Amino acid sequence: MKPCLWVTGLGAVTPLGVGIEKTWSRLVRGDRAIRPLQLFDVSGQRSDLAAEVDGIVTPIHPPGAWSRTSAMAVAAVAEAMTMARLRAADAVVGLVVGGTTSGMFETEELLAQFHADPDGRDAPLAMLSHPITATGDRLDERLGPFARVRTLASACSSGANAIAVAAAWLLSGQVDAVVAGGSDGLCRLTFTGFNSLGAIDRVPCRPFDRRRRGTSLGEGAGFIVLERAEDAKVRGASPIAELAGWAMGSEAHHITDPDPHGEVVAKLIAEAIERAGVSPPQLDYVNAHGTGTPANDSMECAALKRALGRDLARIPVSSSKGQIGHTLGAAGGIEAVITALVVSRKTLVPTAGLDEPDPSIDLLHVPHVGREVARVRAALSNAFGFGGLATVLVFTPCETPVAPVSRVGARPAPSGSVSVVTGVSVVGSAGSMGAEGCADLLTARPIDDAAVDPDAHLDAARARRLDRTSKFAALAVEHALRDARATAEGSGVVLGSAFGAVDASAAFLYRVFQRGPRAASPSEFPNLVPSSAVGHVSIYLRMRGPAFVVADLAASADCAFAQAVELVEGAESARVVAVASEPGSDIVARVLSPLCSDAALHATAPSRSDLASAIAIETAAAARSRGARILAHVAQRLQWRGDGSNSSGALRPPMADRAEVVVARSSRAVDAFLARTGWGDQRRWSCADRLGENGVLGAVAIAVAAARVGTGRAPEALVVGLERGRGYAIVLAAA
Amino acid sequence: MDPAHLRAEIKRLIVTELNLKGRDPDTIEDEAPLFGGDLGLDSLDALQLAMSIEERLGVRLPEGDEAREVFRSVRTIADHVAKVRTA
Repeated sequence: MKPCLWVTGLGAVTPLGVGIEKTWSRLVRGDRAIRPLQLFDVSGQRSDLAAEVDGIVTPIHPPGAWSRTSAMAVAAVAEAMTMARLRAADAVVGLVVGGTTSGMFETEELLAQFHADPDGRDAPLAMLSHPITATGDRLDERLGPFARVRTLASACSSGANAIAVAAAWLLSGQVDAVVAGGSDGLCRLTFTGFNSLGAIDRVPCRPFDRRRRGTSLGEGAGFIVLERAEDAKVRGASPIAELAGWAMGSEAHHITDPDPHGEVVAKLIAEAIERAGVSPPQLDYVNAHGTGTPANDSMECAALKRALGRDLARIPVSSSKGQIGHTLGAAGGIEAVITALVVSRKTLVPTAGLDEPDPSIDLLHVPHVGREVARVRAALSNAFGFGGLATVLVFTPCETPVAPVSRVGARPAPSGSVSVVTGVSVVGSAGSMGAEGCADLLTARPIDDAAVDPDAHLDAARARRLDRTSKFAALAVEHALRDARATAEGSGVVLGSAFGAVDASAAFLYRVFQRGPRAASPSEFPNLVPSSAVGHVSIYLRMRGPAFVVADLAASADCAFAQAVELVEGAESARVVAVASEPGSDIVARVLSPLCSDAALHATAPSRSDLASAIAIETAAAARSRGARILAHVAQRLQWRGDGSNSSGALRPPMADRAEVVVARSSRAVDAFLARTGWGDQRRWSCADRLGENGVLGAVAIAVAAARVGTGRAPEALVVGLERGRGYAIVLAAA
Repeated sequence: MDPAHLRAEIKRLIVTELNLKGRDPDTIEDEAPLFGGDLGLDSLDALQLAMSIEERLGVRLPEGDEAREVFRSVRTIADHVAKVRTA
């Protein structure tokens, strides 16, 4: 029987108030927080409306490291952990943070300056708040230390996506409890971008209304504490609701427009409900994504109809966005909190602003004010993002809480599925290669530094919206799938990216600051969202599995591999491609990397050339059943926070003399780590020594290691990815 | 700018701003439908085109339902731009 996952804590910061009680009472009452924005100058924008959180105080220490996004996240996570009576030190507690803007508000004027003055060499401390990992790091400092921290982005589904990833951690027994959700602060970039898309209503947004013309943006944070019921009972924790089902996937349709038929979303809703063990007749509430844009609301209605059929007519549906706005990366987290409360308090929250329901959206609405109901047997929460990235969550009421039991909660046995690498690729100045080329990439003749023209290998019409990162990522994923002789359909994709599209964001902002909001490019804006590359890849290659970005500074590629393995081993997706693709970036090379990352300290030959690498992962059983060549199996996988001194002891020694070590870059930290293990004397390869410094070298190291094992050059290989305060180790062994 | 020049400029913007690599602007017919035809443009392209016409030609195009009529073809856009300029 699958373990039951309890929600034991909730925390929220929303434009309606700090804390869940204030937010909840005002939500049920139908209060609205959408008004002219005060945070920054909005003159010249199509609409000046947004739902702002008042009175956020950002701490002073460490200097420059705090953003409003992180401050809201700390408040929400503290509330959730207090409610759950959980401290990070009490158990193996994980943290999964979804978000997109991070410290953008705090750094966008600096970014515009960097764009204007490329030779300025100062790296102001304020840039420390910029990477999307900053929020997880601040949470770790204030409320941790957490056993593991994951930062992910899937645009406006990030918060819900984080909760689904957290659930998978619990099912595989990797953590005892996990805090998951999302946080996003308003900033000029998203405000101007959504306005340029004509996606903002000139009045507070009216989801499902006949007159709706767009959404209203908001900000906030929403997190939940999740744990296995049997462990929660041992702690004496009370359940609020059960996270019974979830599903992640991508539409593979269009970078900004949803598929009007809602085909993939309907499939995800059906999957999440089935996983929850309920059927449409038992579903009593839907908290819709309901942004208020004409396209979203129509698509969502079509998807609900397709998935729920005739039962939909008696299921109340509402959207909270007319009250708190669209809180982007936080929305999935905040709406999960709201949906859990709807289940536990048997009270529906309304859709504000819904005066004239659109006759073509024939849902059972809850207009204006909430109301109590007799029962909520199951409730759905939808979250959709740019690129068609979607997550669906299902909450149910918990059984009556039992008295604390003294038995120690048994961790579920690992699922037993072993993951294997079936294809790899490296695309860049060395050419485009699969396993054969990768095996000798670090040993063969010198690499000629000829620039690769991705356009020569891509379908021009379908690739016209892809930026360079997306183009290289698409080529790398396509080549890895070809190397694995596998199809894209049904595969998922996880992209590791430390800093996202920094230079393009800086250029966009510079133009807006110089020439006003109307000069903002609507087709450029979607490419500035951290998850845009993964959206583009899923669309270009028609991949409909889970798709999102993970970030962990210079270990982002290692993190992507870990995440892809988790998705495969947790049966979230039959096949997942982990990919890293970084555009040559002046601002990363000059400012962000030296300030935020230890990798730059060891850069021997800094390179600003484009490079991408991908690794295709599936279960051993799936690979064997389709007769695939297996390059290597994932024999061991460790990830840690801190200096890794605890993890080095857990690393198994090499099984053979010829076992090799592959690292992204050499450093004293790598030497020290290996010296504590049995791997210190093994033959060692450094990708940076050969290819020059690049953010994707972590993925290249894994691709090379898998290829060397798969082609018999080494019986097994260890890949170590180290970064400031975090690390990953992967042992790949012959199948 | 005479009407033929204006239409040529709009065609040039369509190719460069919407990244239609390899497409010769002169092969775009004045009357050809911009959406659903062989150009294969969508609503995101319409927004980008409106922004660049406002930047380059100094004319703000309508948004929402009104935009549908203006964005039918190169000719309807050019006519609208000319009308606003002479008004």
